Amino acid sequence: MLEFIVFFFFAAVAIVFALVVILHRNPVVGALSLVASFFALAVMYVLLDAPFLAALQVIVYAGAIMVLFLFVIMLLNLQHVAEPNTRPVQQFLGYFASATFAAGLVYYVSKYAVLHALPPTRFSTSAQAIGERLFEAYIFPFEMVSILLLAAIVGALMLSGKAAVAIR
Amino acid sequence: MSYAFDTTDIVLSVVKIAVVLLALLNVVPIMVWVERRGSALIQDRPGPNRVGPFGLLQSFADALKFILKEDIIPAGAHKWIYTLAPTFGLLPALTTIAVVPWGRKFFIEEREFLGRTLFEGGRWFEPVIVNVNVGILIVFALASLGVYGIVAAGWASNNKYSMFGAIRASAQMISYELALTLAAVSVLLAAGSLRLTDVVWQQSGTFRLFDTIPIPAWNAFSPAMWIAFVVFVVAGFAETNRLPFDFAEAEAELVAGYHTEYSSMKFALFFMAEYMAMTTMSALIVTLFLGGWDIPWYNEPPTFLGFILSVAAFVAKVALLLFVFVWVRWTIPRLKYDILMRLGWKVFLPLAFLNIVIVAAFIAMRWL
Repeated sequence: MLEFIVFFFFAAVAIVFALVVILHRNPVVGALSLVASFFALAVMYVLLDAPFLAALQVIVYAGAIMVLFLFVIMLLNLQHVAEPNTRPVQQFLGYFASATFAAGLVYYVSKYAVLHALPPTRFSTSAQAIGERLFEAYIFPFEMVSILLLAAIVGALMLSGKAAVAIR
Repeated sequence: MSYAFDTTDIVLSVVKIAVVLLALLNVVPIMVWVERRGSALIQDRPGPNRVGPFGLLQSFADALKFILKEDIIPAGAHKWIYTLAPTFGLLPALTTIAVVPWGRKFFIEEREFLGRTLFEGGRWFEPVIVNVNVGILIVFALASLGVYGIVAAGWASNNKYSMFGAIRASAQMISYELALTLAAVSVLLAAGSLRLTDVVWQQSGTFRLFDTIPIPAWNAFSPAMWIAFVVFVVAGFAETNRLPFDFAEAEAELVAGYHTEYSSMKFALFFMAEYMAMTTMSALIVTLFLGGWDIPWYNEPPTFLGFILSVAAFVAKVALLLFVFVWVRWTIPRLKYDILMRLGWKVFLPLAFLNIVIVAAFIAMRWL
């Protein structure tokens, strides 16, 4: 009973703030709403008996990435001017694609969703279990991702270095 | 997720939450008094000494003043975020303490009270609000949200100085969070657990360095982890925005930084958040590096007496660290901003990494 109350409350929070992110004109309000949405999502992980993932969700997304987003938004000091609609076809395609995706999602979720308790699965979400999977079974993709991130950092350094030289 | 708890557990939890929350709230007026008298002591002047004995009631006078001041919302401010920002700052400061153990667990015997049997079969009382197996990660998760209070306040105020404070705070806190977390990783490697009660247990007892006098097995005294201790304390100062790292406020440059436009109780909330964050940080330093509730050279019995003694030891250690916070604030001047960033990225972050390697080597050599 308690779990249902907590679930529906935080599900509502996550959805409402996610809507604010895409509908609100002000980028700072959007970023802060996304933090609230991430936080509500972390509560879902706690309900799924995965406090490790919940903590990581908050540390990585709400605590680190969104602070950087906010930092950049504030530095750019975006003025919210209404942009004229220059690409009507693309806009239509965007709306159409999102609507199709949403409809498909609702259909499949309602088809396969379970409203009763699943049988207990042998699946551990402790830090140790996740670490073992990452560094044994998934070591190659894990290292690939880190190389991808390294490439992004080197790329950023290259770009900013060139720009700094050009200004001088 | 299945929970197995009965009425006794719920009552005990509520009592724990109430005790910790009240203690945390009461730290604020005491610390304000300590800060003002301490600064006066260090600067060789009397300080507040008119309200009550030794000016002890000065904090209550301050609180009354805050309540009576006009609550101003600037015309250009973003009203919603401006109003909510002080609570963003306060929430992490209030909740983080939940996973920090503040005493030795003890066994409560079954007893009769008013014709009812309490603590049926006896049970262990663990003096921590939630003893989750990822305690330290919860601390960092909540602590990383602390920056939003400052950033939201600075942006919503629509004031250049507030904005500068907010931008500086976000850059600074991201930078030092890395050093802080990595310094804690050393301790977690040694303890082999993310649970803070395990970290404290690992530090109880003594060890002999080169067969001389027994030293308490606290992580700060460990030859493998003292670097992490130094890094953690310095990064802790930066995370709580205290001098010499208070660039979010920097009175000399930014008027009052992110809370320039705030008045009345909203300002008081920022003030409270700062002192609560300091208390939480002190409790965390004590837990991770200074043995938590452990009394050096003494084996606390698993009874009520041992519990009381261990709580007293924990409170004494936290109080000592809080005084260090005040002491440092009035002794060391503010750094320059570029020096702060250089220190964070080029000194403390590599040192934290180095310490992880050292601890790993110690574990590989079976010295820990």
